[in-house]
Amino acid sequence: MIGHYLGLASRYLAAHRKKTRLTITSVAIAVALVTGIFSMLEVFLQFSKTQIIHDRGNYHIAIIQPSEQEINMLASRKDVNNAGRWLDFGQVKANEINGAASAIDPSFAKNMNITLVEGRYPTGDNEIMIEQWAADKLYLNTKLNGTVNIAFSDKIVRNFTVSGICKDFGNMKASGNPGIFMSMAAADKLKKSLLTSELYVIEFKNRVNIAAAEKNIAETLGIDKGRIGRNNRLLAAIGQSKGGAATQLYVTGGILFCIVLIAGVMMIYNAFNISVMERIRQFGLLRCIGASPAQIRKLVRREGLAITVRAIPIGVLAGMLLTLGCSAILKYYNAGLFADIPLFTFSVIGIATGVAVGFLTVFSAVLLPARKAARVAPVRAVTGSNDLKISARRKRGWLTKLFKAEIAMGIGNVAAKKKTLILMVCSIAVSIVMFMGFQVFVDFLHSSLKTTKPYTPDISLVAKQGDLDGALYDKLQQLDGMKKVYGRMYGDVAASFDASKLSEAYKKEMGGVDVTADGRFVPPEKSWLISYDQAQLDWAKEELLEGELSEEQLNAQNGIIAVALHYRGRRADTTSLKLGDKVTIETRAGLKEMTVLGIVRSLPFNNKEKTLTSFITTEKLFRELTGKRAYQVIDIQLKKSGQEQAVNEIKAMLDSGTTFHDYRQRNAELDQTFFTMAVFIYGFVGVIGLISVLNIINTMNTSIAAKTKYLGVMRAVGMSGAQLSRMVLAEAAAYSLTGGIVGCLLGTALQKTLIESQLSRFQIIWEIPYLQIGLILLLVLAAAAVSVIAPLKRVKKQGIAEVIGSL
Amino acid sequence: MLDILVTERLCKTYGKGETRVDALKEASFTVAKGEFVSIVGPSGSGKSTLLNLLGALDVPTSGKVLLDGRDIYAMNENELSVFRRRNIGFIFQAYNLVPELNVEENIALPLLLDYQKPDKRHIGELLDILGLTERRHHLPNQLSGGQQQRVAIGRALATKPVFILADEPTGNLDSKNSAEVMNLLRLSVAKYRQTLIMITHNSNYATFADRVLGVEDGVVTELGGDR
Repeated sequence: MIGHYLGLASRYLAAHRKKTRLTITSVAIAVALVTGIFSMLEVFLQFSKTQIIHDRGNYHIAIIQPSEQEINMLASRKDVNNAGRWLDFGQVKANEINGAASAIDPSFAKNMNITLVEGRYPTGDNEIMIEQWAADKLYLNTKLNGTVNIAFSDKIVRNFTVSGICKDFGNMKASGNPGIFMSMAAADKLKKSLLTSELYVIEFKNRVNIAAAEKNIAETLGIDKGRIGRNNRLLAAIGQSKGGAATQLYVTGGILFCIVLIAGVMMIYNAFNISVMERIRQFGLLRCIGASPAQIRKLVRREGLAITVRAIPIGVLAGMLLTLGCSAILKYYNAGLFADIPLFTFSVIGIATGVAVGFLTVFSAVLLPARKAARVAPVRAVTGSNDLKISARRKRGWLTKLFKAEIAMGIGNVAAKKKTLILMVCSIAVSIVMFMGFQVFVDFLHSSLKTTKPYTPDISLVAKQGDLDGALYDKLQQLDGMKKVYGRMYGDVAASFDASKLSEAYKKEMGGVDVTADGRFVPPEKSWLISYDQAQLDWAKEELLEGELSEEQLNAQNGIIAVALHYRGRRADTTSLKLGDKVTIETRAGLKEMTVLGIVRSLPFNNKEKTLTSFITTEKLFRELTGKRAYQVIDIQLKKSGQEQAVNEIKAMLDSGTTFHDYRQRNAELDQTFFTMAVFIYGFVGVIGLISVLNIINTMNTSIAAKTKYLGVMRAVGMSGAQLSRMVLAEAAAYSLTGGIVGCLLGTALQKTLIESQLSRFQIIWEIPYLQIGLILLLVLAAAAVSVIAPLKRVKKQGIAEVIGSL
Repeated sequence: MLDILVTERLCKTYGKGETRVDALKEASFTVAKGEFVSIVGPSGSGKSTLLNLLGALDVPTSGKVLLDGRDIYAMNENELSVFRRRNIGFIFQAYNLVPELNVEENIALPLLLDYQKPDKRHIGELLDILGLTERRHHLPNQLSGGQQQRVAIGRALATKPVFILADEPTGNLDSKNSAEVMNLLRLSVAKYRQTLIMITHNSNYATFADRVLGVEDGVVTELGGDR
């Protein structure tokens, strides 16, 4: 015997197992979403911390030009885990090639990812360590215990012995300038004036408040704020940064939290609302026998509580599993780097927020249905039918004309139940809007973060001065193991066009330009002209903003391609050229008029010299304009197998006028960084997509379960099984399509706003996402179809009399 | 005798304009404590409207109902809930039991809602009178119609209310079960000195009553009785 009227809640739940299970599922999904997002965020920070330490080094702050006294004081601080001096001598000439010399305390070498492979860390005052790749005869041409002569900025050549060899750094290898790590003794022997920077880098212990420690250091040692540098990305990843990237991360987290909260509340509200609306009569009855509105409210809330208590553990577990999936992918993909990160992360924050948000969502989601239930008039117990009341006026005759009767009825049902329709539409739309909103960032990430594009070379051959050997290109083409060989010519040309197309900022920077009578300006600077072959033009299509990229068209119409974001130390728009604009270029044969046939967002490479703007044209036109014949750069993409042999063969072809850049390691590392981000972002989007589908299925399930009696009546008056299926399917489709369309409209609007407000400065333009919309609508319809299968089966299995009589 | 129920010019109108229906027109009558009043009338005559108004399940368009000297429409929702659970017992044609609760719990529910600890002896006595002792742990769907209605009666009697309002309590029952239910009702009214107002279609059962009120087209008329 129940001892309290609230016992009715658990009785109700126990008696309606199926319905309860559905409600628990939807609450569990919401909790899983929250737990998943927050655990993933936490794990993501762990992974990105490891990634950043790998990319940038493991230090938190750096003191610039420390005094000996400061170093001693800092080293003895209790909150410092590890610290070391880092002296940088900048660019040097080592065995006649460019290199970068620096010295790092051996104790801090590991923090800076220096891994000894052979020999020992340099200690003597003439000892150095070099990277593995740099020992090659193309570069330093030395070996362990060999010698390297180095000329620092004072041009004095000194001899050093190679005491150790360390692992390659991707960036150094790509630049072709080897890193040279000197012993501290050797560095200290040199004049301080040769240093380009002198740092004392500090890694604090775990859980040290770094901002406070930094302030304390600045105060106690009297160090000027300007003399303290920070490893901002690492600080952001460990949540110890203020401003900049960290704020953005927190804002993103906050927005995520709100979206998740809204979605969760909507889902749970939907579930409870349906459950309450079904029982109007029962609440009326309870009111008849003396339940006060407050008691009914408590009863519904108790139901919510009972469901939450059961749903939360399931949801939390599911959320943790999602996180586990992401960790597993990353660990599998990059076992070496992420070896120290446990596969299974017990995210206290994730679980705590999951539980807290679970309770909070249920509490707020139940408030309204509970109030609704409490407002049920007692008279509903006697007049009480839960059935629809459709007035004659609202009958939809036109539906019957358009569709078969059963389909018209299905759609009519949807139109008649405005509130359910609004709820369903909202819950589907929220999911879609979330999905589409995130998609913008995924796309953006993909286009901006993923640096390895189809045109990214494995190997790049660059002429030190002038042009490459004219026969080199053909020889490379013949070589085995080449996937693609493509060259580029570039040069500075004097180009002019309508002065109004120059940006104000540029004109200001130049201190104004002279405009001739025909409206053109006198070029204050040269412009950068680059040649592309058809393959390179095709690759540039991803960046194309307007126009066409065809070698044939360009050749036929004297065409050039303008670049929207020109690199002048940073990317900015110096011009606003449009399709069809005429550009005159000075050639040896006089002025030549070219036409802008296309505009691309930006170039994948930068010119060190400051120029007015950049233009791309075909190799044929380039030769005509400049008179140059041979390439300055040849890029090579290698086949997957036999790379080392191919690399050796290429090296053998080169003369001393060519530098060899091996980008492979750096590309792989950049890919990794992108992958680490992408797994989580796609993880989020995936979770949201999954939730949306489950949400649709769940809502359909509930809505059909709620109409068992109505469906029974339909069968009693002669509706066949197939007709019943069609009616229910039509109803499900009407709900989900309406939701899908509303969601896509709002999602598209969101994408437009996001792109136009956030990403337009990256010259990303908004387009109607037809493909996304199509896929979403298809998915939504599929989810609707799947969702009606099980409940329909159940309805058909029950006897008609049983169904009608049972309620 | 003390008039425990007084209605004053009670009116109820549904709809507006063309669809306006006067379900109840200026009904004024009184019922004395301990009286058994039956209400008869054809379908749609306004019987149920009247009963709903008497039990404060619905709000009249105009007029007053005084139950035990209190104007029930002057009370707020919470006062009304408490008043209802302590003073009025409802019996419906469709039984309206809580399907998830067993017999005993259904009967005790009004007491639980009133935060009382159900008196085991009192419930036992009720079950005994209703002939449900054997079935006290059964759920409503395991019972016959007659049994279900007896549970409903037990629930209406649990708080020993002053009034019992019954809307065709025998409407869904066969004649044997109907007779049983009627006997039970009469017995309990006599035993606990309760006032019973009952809608019925069956003129036979109307004769059980002390008084009969007729309702036709919303007009309440006294059809006689031994008052």
